[in-house]
Amino acid sequence: MNILGLSCYYHDSAACIICDGVLVAAAQEERFNRIKNSSDFPINAINFCVQQAGISFDQIDYVAFYEKPFLKFSRVILDIVSKFPFSYGSFIRNTPQWLQDRLILPGVLKREFAYKGDVLFIPHHHAHAASTFFVSPFDEAAILINDGVGEYSTSSIGFGSGKNIDLQKQINYPDSLGLLYSAITTFLGFNANSGEGTTMALASFGQVNYLEQFKKIINIAPDGSYTLNQKYFSLNKRKRMYSKDLITLLGAPRKFDTDYDQRHKDIAATLQFVIEDCLIKQSKYAYNTFGSENLCLAGGVFLNCVANQKILEQTKFKKIFIQPGAGDAGASIGAAFFTYNSILGNERKFVMNHAYFGPESTDKEIEIALNAKSLKFNKYEEQTLLEIVTERIIAKKTVGWFQGRLEFGPRALGNRSILASAQDSVMTEILNSRIKHREWFRPFAPIVKKEKANDYFKMLADSPFMLLAPKVIEKMKTIIPAVTHIDGTARTQTVDKETNPLLWKLLDVHEKKTGISVIINTSFNLKAEPIVCKPAEAIIDYLNSEMDCLALGNYFIEKHDEI
Amino acid sequence: MPESEPDIFLNKEGICNICLTYEHEKQDDNKEKLLESDLLKILDKYKGKKKYDCMVMCSGGKDSTSALYFMKTRYNLNILAFMFDHGFETKEAIDNVRNAVDILDVDFILYKSSFMKPMFSKILQTDSKATLCHICSIWYMDLAYDVAARYDIPLIVAGWTKGQSQTKKANTQSNKNHYTEFLLMSEATECFLNNQLKDMPQYKRFPKSMEEVLKRAKKRHKSLVISPHWFLPYGPEEYVKIIKQELGWKAPALSYPKGSTNCLLNFISVYNSIKHFGYTHYHVEASKLIRKGVISREEAIEQLKQNFDFETLNKVASKMNISFDDSL
Ligand SMILES: [Fe+2]
Repeated sequence: MNILGLSCYYHDSAACIICDGVLVAAAQEERFNRIKNSSDFPINAINFCVQQAGISFDQIDYVAFYEKPFLKFSRVILDIVSKFPFSYGSFIRNTPQWLQDRLILPGVLKREFAYKGDVLFIPHHHAHAASTFFVSPFDEAAILINDGVGEYSTSSIGFGSGKNIDLQKQINYPDSLGLLYSAITTFLGFNANSGEGTTMALASFGQVNYLEQFKKIINIAPDGSYTLNQKYFSLNKRKRMYSKDLITLLGAPRKFDTDYDQRHKDIAATLQFVIEDCLIKQSKYAYNTFGSENLCLAGGVFLNCVANQKILEQTKFKKIFIQPGAGDAGASIGAAFFTYNSILGNERKFVMNHAYFGPESTDKEIEIALNAKSLKFNKYEEQTLLEIVTERIIAKKTVGWFQGRLEFGPRALGNRSILASAQDSVMTEILNSRIKHREWFRPFAPIVKKEKANDYFKMLADSPFMLLAPKVIEKMKTIIPAVTHIDGTARTQTVDKETNPLLWKLLDVHEKKTGISVIINTSFNLKAEPIVCKPAEAIIDYLNSEMDCLALGNYFIEKHDEI
Repeated sequence: MPESEPDIFLNKEGICNICLTYEHEKQDDNKEKLLESDLLKILDKYKGKKKYDCMVMCSGGKDSTSALYFMKTRYNLNILAFMFDHGFETKEAIDNVRNAVDILDVDFILYKSSFMKPMFSKILQTDSKATLCHICSIWYMDLAYDVAARYDIPLIVAGWTKGQSQTKKANTQSNKNHYTEFLLMSEATECFLNNQLKDMPQYKRFPKSMEEVLKRAKKRHKSLVISPHWFLPYGPEEYVKIIKQELGWKAPALSYPKGSTNCLLNFISVYNSIKHFGYTHYHVEASKLIRKGVISREEAIEQLKQNFDFETLNKVASKMNISFDDSL
């Protein structure tokens, strides 16, 4: 049983394939077509997934697509419920129209890869919910979904148990935390859908001084439900998402590429506070309603690792699972699993304990890519490579680290990463000025051996997908200054020996040499580019930046200091 | 590639002109990278419309045998397998094809003919620079279009790998441009076909160039020529393993380039090309593959090492009552 899950046409197109209930491949289209946040039909990702799964296209049993109501696919309505003599969850019985076929997508699938089989449309938030709960290690959990701009459902609270997902409370567009966050992000002069992380980082530099103003924008009830005052928003203009009223309320917006006033920082801080407040209230409501100690999160809002940490700190939830592709890319995985577990009623047998589901490169491909640029390289045994890379990191060099399978989701999790020492704050400047060219205030994230994480950070849960921002333990702040953000937290990724043995070994070698099990990990890309996918792209970035060395598999190249 | 040859020169970075010609093509190559789904689109257009969906041109080599395998097992097409033998195919090659068509249960035509022998002898006797392989490919493409027309087959499937597709758009219907580096070779071939065959009436209708083959084909019956290798990401390591396992395919004892063509005539063609031009069309293809990042320089050099001797050449040549001396 092979199910192809798709996400596309909005932003962050992606494809995945699950074979007999196990995720075998998943990737975002942007990594192949090299268009950041590409919303194109993910034809490259689909080709990769099918070939990675070792099947042919005609062995795809179902294509599962997450529904985007505003796309207005619906012209011909075919009730194909009769095709599925299976038991549905309670939700399905209540709203059978979700299975309505849409005219356009099947046509696209036929045109793009001659697919003539069944296409299932999964309600958007059910896809998000399945993307987190069905691949979580929990038998039952509270589920919280909050996502972006222009969604139909924007917040959902529900409960997952076994093969069932029951979303009980939903808030609909235009009330949306994602909309609020993105609108203020554009107000602060960053791009919607990609600049939210920048807003989050800026927030740490401000004071929550704009609460009175924000109370006019958003009204949050004790149960975490909310309404936005629409007069402050205007979605009609493409990049600007706020109205004149918001300018009257908060003052002039920051122009792109200008300096940051304290006012901008305070607005970001207040926004972050308000979002956290709302999410914590929703979480508390979910905890009280469902009584589970497990929490599953998905939707673009939960890429906010600072807010995720606050939820963990300020509610009674003991365990948390966040889909690494929390945004719409991950909804492709959810659509596939919702089909497999909920619609087809199969038992769950997969836990997404890592995100390495993309393509990988063979030695031959790496060698050819190096030769194509006439680069001199060395090939080392694994242990030697780890020793050399560690030595370079200690010597304050920046190391491109291209290993194994590409990560799914927006974060580089140590397979397409740039590594550097966390022990000297000068490294943030070096990374920024020589390679990344990001806003000066954005922090760099640490990787840490999972079992040593508590020595450095006040972890309340593992953070395999870099979606939590625990406080750095006081005495460690000066030991690993390069990853300690101004608010005293770090966007931590815990590295598991089982799921990324090579990266774990690198941390181990580093620990043996320095006593510290923490290294900076930042995504392997240059400004405004998607994360690299193939060796050739990594080599181009290496050559086009001042990156000092590059480890591609066991191959190693470095630039020598010129006199 | 060596700089001692008149048509090839190296630039400062040590990249020869053939590779440089390829550079600009690589630009749009990335944009127009062919995916398997592109092949599916094409197949969907033709599948199930006629008695045969496609004709697979088989040589018994790894590329065409795997093409046959993919077309049957991966794409479930109704296939007519077609093999021609101009008298210089080896028994092992023919056995490879027979095995494959038996196991895959596809219809099969083996066309054996000595029609080409007098022309081949003529080239060797007149010491013409015409490349045997070019002449041969003109003959067999014409033949292939003929058979496709006879059986009303919309698709011709060849086992060409990525470097061997002389066309950008993955079909030969729009093929007009020759690569400059092929120019000298194809000029010699055309010159031979135009001038040297006057006393051989049996070749009166023989096409004078590949362009002519395509032009004629277009008038007669529209068949699209494709190769699954343009669309699939699998390299020879993978598909050789599959056809060995599934089809009992055996690698030829001797082939040139290494692990590739084992047509006996090919050895003479290679010998002559090197004599006349200093390189062969295989060198040109290999250069492209290197720049494209499909194979490494070392692999290419290894593959292109001359691995046959005069004994082999003379054994083949004796079939045409010619002998080679080793004075060159
Ligand atoms: Fe979403």
